Amino acid sequence: MIVTNIETVPGQTIVKHLGLVSGNTVRSKHAGRDLMAGLKNIFGGELTGYTELLTESREEAVQRMIDQARSVGANAIVNVRFSTSSVAAGAAELYAYGTAVVVE
Amino acid sequence: MADYENPLIPEGINVSPTHPLKDFILLVAGISTLLIVTVLVLSLLAGQLARHIPFANEQALAASLGRWLPQPPESAIARQRQDYLQNLAERLAGAMQLPPNMPITVHYSPGQTVNAMATLGGHIVVFEGLIATLPSENALAMILAHEIAHIRHRDPLVALGRGFTVMLALASFAGVGDGALQQGLGSIGMLPILSFSRSQEEAADAAALPAVLAVYGHVGDAAAFFEKVTQQRSGFDSPTLLSTHPDSEQRIARIREFSARQAPTDVAPTPLPAFMKAP
Amino acid sequence: MYDLILFLIFLLLGYVFGQRAEKRHFRSIIEREKQLRDILVFSERRIPDAEQLDGSLVCGSVVISVDFFKRFVAGLRSLVGGRVSAYESLLERARREAILRMKEEARRGGAQSVWNTRLETASIYKGAQQSIGAVEVLAYGTAVKPR
Repeated sequence: MIVTNIETVPGQTIVKHLGLVSGNTVRSKHAGRDLMAGLKNIFGGELTGYTELLTESREEAVQRMIDQARSVGANAIVNVRFSTSSVAAGAAELYAYGTAVVVE
Repeated sequence: MADYENPLIPEGINVSPTHPLKDFILLVAGISTLLIVTVLVLSLLAGQLARHIPFANEQALAASLGRWLPQPPESAIARQRQDYLQNLAERLAGAMQLPPNMPITVHYSPGQTVNAMATLGGHIVVFEGLIATLPSENALAMILAHEIAHIRHRDPLVALGRGFTVMLALASFAGVGDGALQQGLGSIGMLPILSFSRSQEEAADAAALPAVLAVYGHVGDAAAFFEKVTQQRSGFDSPTLLSTHPDSEQRIARIREFSARQAPTDVAPTPLPAFMKAP
Repeated sequence: MYDLILFLIFLLLGYVFGQRAEKRHFRSIIEREKQLRDILVFSERRIPDAEQLDGSLVCGSVVISVDFFKRFVAGLRSLVGGRVSAYESLLERARREAILRMKEEARRGGAQSVWNTRLETASIYKGAQQSIGAVEVLAYGTAVKPR
């Protein structure tokens, strides 16, 4: 599966467009991470636990998007975008979407 | 084909050069000035408005506050003392031409505090500790008249109005801006603001003197309490600006000045009745 | 009273450690940017000579917390309005760090340039007291390498 965020796949031609595919994850803070985050909130600095969380949820969102694309018979996703939104206090959604295509 | 490269971008274009401490100091200074000015203006305004609230409403408010006044006296001697104080207050109130809808209620408290205070709804609390320091009825009358003057000028209500406005103002400020100020302001809002200003105290003194003069025909011993206080305090001087009560010496001076303007008399001060003295 | 003392201690700690962390972080960003200068980053979508290249998605993400001092200053600033310079450096740090991590991923994949770079900024936490003030930045783009 080739994933790009441009309209084409470099070096290949799109032969079939299969429409929008997407993947999302909703993540929230959890107590163990919060303990350190609470301290960091006084001193400042990177919240490593949360960076990991963000990375994990991004990977999962991309994976879900790829699963969708594979199920419709695509071998590439182009024009991928990420979007985030706060769902409720302490929870946020990460949403990945793109166009599933068949390339040769 | 065009050239593609990433030249080095100089630092600090996207970041303000302002030092965070400078920003902090400017903000704290600016906002506290704003806060103080607003609270001051609001409290003055509230004080002015409070004077126009009918006395009946003040009484209702005082009654609704529950049991905050001393318990009614139980022993016969305490009841006798309270009746005597009430009597004296009514004589003074008559001399001060208090409006008929402004009744004065005096409470006698067996506490050893050397104090008397006027509170909401025309209530005056006199502590046993204060009476014990007074040499004569005239001195007691001066203090009672002073407290009656406070009630007449609506000072307790003004103080309450001011305190309440200050608390409201601080509370509303604390809510602004993500609650960041809340922690800082929370402790300041608790400061007791229910005291009278110096000008209120001076006005009360000025109103009390003619009343004492009207009842006794002279103002002898009116300064007795303050004279005693100055003697006891000779060890240290409290700065005049810090206390809301005018300096005792200033008060003595004013009272003497007032008495000097009256025709001289040689009438001796009326002694306190025997039951008023501690057993 | 204890609350006030605790508050001032937090303010001081936040200032001292926050400033130190920021300086250190900026030094490290500048250092790593120098090392990764050979990976070019563009926000254009059209890649020249795309026929001879292979492309794939690369991402970099970071979550950075605001220190107590900065949050307090920003809170004060929100009373009067104006430029919140306290947060400017925070966002700058976070964006550059995310781009750096994206570049690192591109280097691991053997790519030489990243195209159509996009930045997504978000926060798990919004408003409410006792919450954690943090900024999350996600940088992504298409990394290309010669076929």
